[in-house]
Amino acid sequence: MKDACSAVSKLLEKYFDQEVTKEERSFVEAHLLDCSACRDALRFMEELRTLIKVPVEEAVQKEDFPWVWQKIERGIRLEERPTFWETLQSWLQISSIFQRKVWIPFVATIAVLLFVTTQFIIKKTPSYSEPYVVEYIESETYNIMIFESEKAKTTVIWLFEVPEQKSSTS
Amino acid sequence: MNHDETELISRCQQGDPNALKEIFDQYHKKVYRIAYGVVRQREEALDIVQEVFIKLYRSIRNFKGKSKFYTYLYRMAVNTAIDHARRMGKSIFSSLGEIEGFQPSDGIEKRPDSILLQRELEERVKVTLERLPTDQRMALIFREVEGLSYQEMAEAMGCSIGTVMSRLHYARKKFQELLKNDTKEERRG
Repeated sequence: MKDACSAVSKLLEKYFDQEVTKEERSFVEAHLLDCSACRDALRFMEELRTLIKVPVEEAVQKEDFPWVWQKIERGIRLEERPTFWETLQSWLQISSIFQRKVWIPFVATIAVLLFVTTQFIIKKTPSYSEPYVVEYIESETYNIMIFESEKAKTTVIWLFEVPEQKSSTS
Repeated sequence: MNHDETELISRCQQGDPNALKEIFDQYHKKVYRIAYGVVRQREEALDIVQEVFIKLYRSIRNFKGKSKFYTYLYRMAVNTAIDHARRMGKSIFSSLGEIEGFQPSDGIEKRPDSILLQRELEERVKVTLERLPTDQRMALIFREVEGLSYQEMAEAMGCSIGTVMSRLHYARKKFQELLKNDTKEERRG
């Protein structure tokens, strides 16, 4: 019986895992009828399988897998969200004009136009500074008033006579 | 790999999210079983499933069809689960109160003492599984939980059938010894 046991023990696991040939199966089953030690070994393997498998199967039954799929979808979407640079690139590719690489001269033209227009607007609205009185001198015959304009860098000297006399300006 | 599956994978490689959904529908329970088999904790197992399918979507372009698709997916699931288990460290062996799974359904199994016994047993299985070397633990999970054949296991684990048989044999033997030792220690205590 011991010799038979050692021969069967080599096949017992294969038998339990259903990996034996027909002949091997018949050999093992014939031996199991008479050998309690091999039956115990087989029972242990069955118990071990139950111990490992049953909690897993029960956990599977309880799970809400559609919810897991939603989390996966969300995860993929987050990964695929484009960066700022990618968004800019895709925006530039929207128009067929941009795809033809015409956008460089286009942007350059806009820049030149902006520059010219800005100059024109600045010239049209010059800052105007009023001339202001620098000095006022009174005398018996003439009064003198001196004006200065900072922007035009001009100085005006105004000479005028006192009342009942001829007036002159320069 | 049959024609439908080849087409499905090809669609997924082109970035079709519906194809990924079909793959998910087909394989999510299998991936979950592997994940739960390794970490024995619900939340972690769900995180692993999520991570595996996102990884798959990212890397499926690299799948050249040289191996079977499910072995490719199983390997990815196993590696992800083992990474999680390593990160969790000893924390996966939570207190009895936190243990999930093994909720008896009716009759005598509903008695508190019976529930406690089953929980203790489940806890012991957890600890024993964790004490096994990774390759032996995986062999046991592939065989006992997923019911893979030796040939399928060899493909998923990237080894020969002989190695698979040897890993299974030593895993079962060690499991038996560890459980026996634990029982002896309990009796002494």
